[in-house]
Amino acid sequence: MILFSVLLILLAILGAPLFAVIATSAMLGFYRGETDLMNMALEVQSIADLPFLAAIPLFTFAGYVLSESNAPQRLVRVTNALLGWMPGGLALVCLAACAFFTAFTGASGVTIIALGAILYPALKQDGYDDRFNLGLVTSSGSLGLLFAPSLPLILYGVVAEVPIDSLFLAGILPGLVMLAMLSGWSFWVNRHNRKPLADFSIREVGKALREAIWELPLPFVVLGGIYSGFFAVSEAAAITALYVLIVEVLILREIPLRKLPEVMRQSMVLVGGILIILGVSLASTNYMIGAGVPQLLFEYIQGLVSSPVTFLILLLVFLLILGAILDIFSAIVLVVPLMLPIAAGYEIHPVHLGIVFLAAMQLGYLTPPVGLNLFIASYRFEKPIMQVYAATLPFLLILLLSVVLITFWPALSLWLPGLE
Amino acid sequence: MSTFVKRLGAAGRIAENVVLVFLLSGMMLLAVGQIVLRELFDTGFVWADELVKLMVLWLAMVGSIAAGRDNRHIRIDLLSHVLPERLVRMSRVLVDLFAAGVCAVITWHAWRYLQLEIEFEDTVLIDTPAWIAHSIMPLAFALLAYRFAVSALAQLVLSPAGKDEAQT
Repeated sequence: MILFSVLLILLAILGAPLFAVIATSAMLGFYRGETDLMNMALEVQSIADLPFLAAIPLFTFAGYVLSESNAPQRLVRVTNALLGWMPGGLALVCLAACAFFTAFTGASGVTIIALGAILYPALKQDGYDDRFNLGLVTSSGSLGLLFAPSLPLILYGVVAEVPIDSLFLAGILPGLVMLAMLSGWSFWVNRHNRKPLADFSIREVGKALREAIWELPLPFVVLGGIYSGFFAVSEAAAITALYVLIVEVLILREIPLRKLPEVMRQSMVLVGGILIILGVSLASTNYMIGAGVPQLLFEYIQGLVSSPVTFLILLLVFLLILGAILDIFSAIVLVVPLMLPIAAGYEIHPVHLGIVFLAAMQLGYLTPPVGLNLFIASYRFEKPIMQVYAATLPFLLILLLSVVLITFWPALSLWLPGLE
Repeated sequence: MSTFVKRLGAAGRIAENVVLVFLLSGMMLLAVGQIVLRELFDTGFVWADELVKLMVLWLAMVGSIAAGRDNRHIRIDLLSHVLPERLVRMSRVLVDLFAAGVCAVITWHAWRYLQLEIEFEDTVLIDTPAWIAHSIMPLAFALLAYRFAVSALAQLVLSPAGKDEAQT
């Protein structure tokens, strides 16, 4: 038993596809519990029974189309026109534009590639220190995870069976706290370089907005539609995807029609990779819940800690380690079902748990050894990985501070959705 | 590798793309169509919701077949940054063989389940036989098993220069 577990973990570390590792552990469980292994197929195909799941392929596709078009340039221009006049404005532009873009593209590393390529040289040209720029762009790449309609938020809602509109509201203030703290740090670092980019010009704002006229309705469709309860999440996703497709391919023609199948493929490769892990995790979760694993874990942890605060500390440490090894999607589908009943035992609201979970996992993008953003930035900007680590460290610490704040201040997450 | 295998690979890739294009476009149109019908005509298809969900299943499975071909399945990518390339390739042979085995086992059980569905005449979407909707399960896992086996073999026999061919 223990031998098998060790073997599986070893295979995972050696680089076995995670879905195969999880499927094996579920099938071993079925086998020992004398459950027919046919259940494996049954569980995977039960992803067709999950509500809202259609939102994931649709939003992912919309995000890929946006990043393939010239929307990133337009986004930067609008943000620049709105914020660029402030001293240290370009750093703010970078943070805000990246957060916005990541929310729409789901933190798969696309942000660094699509926006970093525009912002990194611009920051350099504007006289910012290279080390600062590298750290800023790298850590901005996963900022915005907490803002609707980010993929991890939806996935958490599906897995934890929490209303997605509550999660969308819950993420706003914690996400803004992260943004504000990073902006504060950027101001402080560049306090001697307070040259504003340009004067605020209402004409430039108008021009930038006019250029982005087609994309402007998007946030209103997505957020307005969902928050007002006019659309379900999956409906908003369908409208967004179709709208983006029509605008970027048929109206603006920035993506040639013959390139479209490839864009669809790229986005569905990501979706397939995530959903197959979700499918096999449904099997392993069901097995573990059937075997009473969450109950055992809860009793064990209760023996260690009694107060919710100590539990939160423990949780945070666990999540930071988890995030350093596992990608955010696998972590959600694997760990959340086991963690929910335990957190409920300490009276932690599932919405708050979700925000803490995602915020902590966001740091995983920036922590060695497997932080995705570090490798993408190193590859994209042709810098040695150690240099990227070092440049990102101060931003990582600030983000850590914000995660601590988000964890121990539940009202930050629960106030807006009215769950406090 | 022979030109036949290459052609087979190219055809497979196109087939995946065609299916993905149809599924994704169909899902968008169906979901938006439902909204239009509901808001403007206060009506809709009773089967649309279930069909969208089945399309998500198909997108997921065909997407994972494509992810297998593009070598984009989610892995803990730890060793490739620290180990020398030879050892990385060796470990890839091992884990891909493992993945191929796992997928083969799931294929077998998915196949058994499908036969059960045929026998019991289960239905989805009002009156469609369920096995048609679920036939993607054994198919996808069989193709994944094949893909991982090919990938392991390719890692084993090809020189580093032959990396591109490992993708076909």
